[in-house]
Amino acid sequence: MNSARAAVAAASFVACSSLAAPPGDPIDWLQRIVTGARETTYTGTVVHSAGSSTVTSRVIHVFRDGNEIERIESLDGPRQEIVRVNDHIQCFHPDSKTIRTDKRVSARFFPSLLLAPPAMLAESYHLRLGGIERVAGKDCQWVILEPRDDLRFAHRLCAHLGSGLPLRSAMLGPLPRRQVLEQYSFTDLRLGRDVPAAEVRGTYEPLAADWRRDHQADEEAKPAATGWTVQSPPRGFRLVHELQRKFPGRPHAVSQLVYSDGLAALSVFVEPAASPAELRETLTQDGGLSIYTRPLGDLRVTVLGEVPASAVRQVGRGVVRAAVSSR
Amino acid sequence: MTQEISELMDSELETGRAGRAIRRCCGEDGCRQDWLAYHAIGDVMRGGDVAGARSTRRILDAIREEPTVLAPRRLRLAGAGRVALAAAASVATLAVVAWIGLQQQAPSSPSLAAKSSLPGAAALPASEAVPGVQDYVVVHRQVPAADFYRAVSVTEAVPR
Repeated sequence: MNSARAAVAAASFVACSSLAAPPGDPIDWLQRIVTGARETTYTGTVVHSAGSSTVTSRVIHVFRDGNEIERIESLDGPRQEIVRVNDHIQCFHPDSKTIRTDKRVSARFFPSLLLAPPAMLAESYHLRLGGIERVAGKDCQWVILEPRDDLRFAHRLCAHLGSGLPLRSAMLGPLPRRQVLEQYSFTDLRLGRDVPAAEVRGTYEPLAADWRRDHQADEEAKPAATGWTVQSPPRGFRLVHELQRKFPGRPHAVSQLVYSDGLAALSVFVEPAASPAELRETLTQDGGLSIYTRPLGDLRVTVLGEVPASAVRQVGRGVVRAAVSSR
Repeated sequence: MTQEISELMDSELETGRAGRAIRRCCGEDGCRQDWLAYHAIGDVMRGGDVAGARSTRRILDAIREEPTVLAPRRLRLAGAGRVALAAAASVATLAVVAWIGLQQQAPSSPSLAAKSSLPGAAALPASEAVPGVQDYVVVHRQVPAADFYRAVSVTEAVPR
């Protein structure tokens, strides 16, 4: 960081906050990001773009009595609203009069993107600070995470100088093209607004008494020892969730293992193959999403996540029965 | 004419013009077809069922003829409180119809249908090679860029 930028940073920071000067260590910044995304109360508009798709949402986030309460209302396309209380998700679909409930295991909710303690990220990424930029009318510090191998993408987060709240984040493809695979950005943001409880509870909740409640994702996904494990997952990826899920229209329960390096997550699914035609090894990458499948006896292994294709392939080929003694 | 039907449906015509539009719609076959098609579009957008495949064809034909409006037109009713954009509605409906069509052919993500396979695995389009993978994408992303959960709810609203 050059001295002029440092001066701007210092000046903005004094203007924005009465806290001590921001630390210069990327791990400290990532910790500020974790805390800022969780504990800041704000309302704003977020634009999410991935490939050619762009979705704009209004987000209201309140931190109260140690709980995160968040409401995300889609502004594009069919009406839809998500109310999240910590890791509990309710999704309101007024057009089909349906409420879906689920628990967060692998979802990416900008600005709360980090799924592990920041120190863990240093194992998988080279961390450094970038410049200071203005996003949604506020100054933010770029924190740059360069992958240590080709088994994950590069990420950038721009943390508000005062609160640490990420104002923009991007997932980038490999050098030399470095194309933006996915980006979240606030386009307007009001911090610290005292949001009335009724506003956080949601537009549709009062109307939804007789809506169909779909608890399938939530209640039929049970934490369980699936009997499966991954031999030698990519460095830094740890098992963070293991569950059995049921899907509408599928007779068998599906085992799901979720691995994360703290920022990127991938899911492993194992289920009986529906037909012999499915039993082929396939690998595809679509923008930031990679999908791998292979047969395993009469079963099918599927691995997908926001990682390069080589990572889902490595994980998929490493799926084996877990030794009973390890559980 | 189609403009007038669209405005009629959105309650944007004042009484006299609305009366004339309704009389014309009752008398002309083409106009009546448009009127039905536009209601079908509304039904799809509200998550309801469309009566039969013939209406899907009519909708797609109507969408093809609908000009793209890039700027919102002025509301004619003061305080109407809704911006009725026939063209925007058409585009959204087209996406929904296309999605339903794909669902019936192969339960896979439309975005996954057209992309390249990578070395080290069979060179097959994901839509053929990975039936049911869209469910996994939904479960993995949980509540992401809205489109995934939305697609599922629309699919459920259409009887197979």
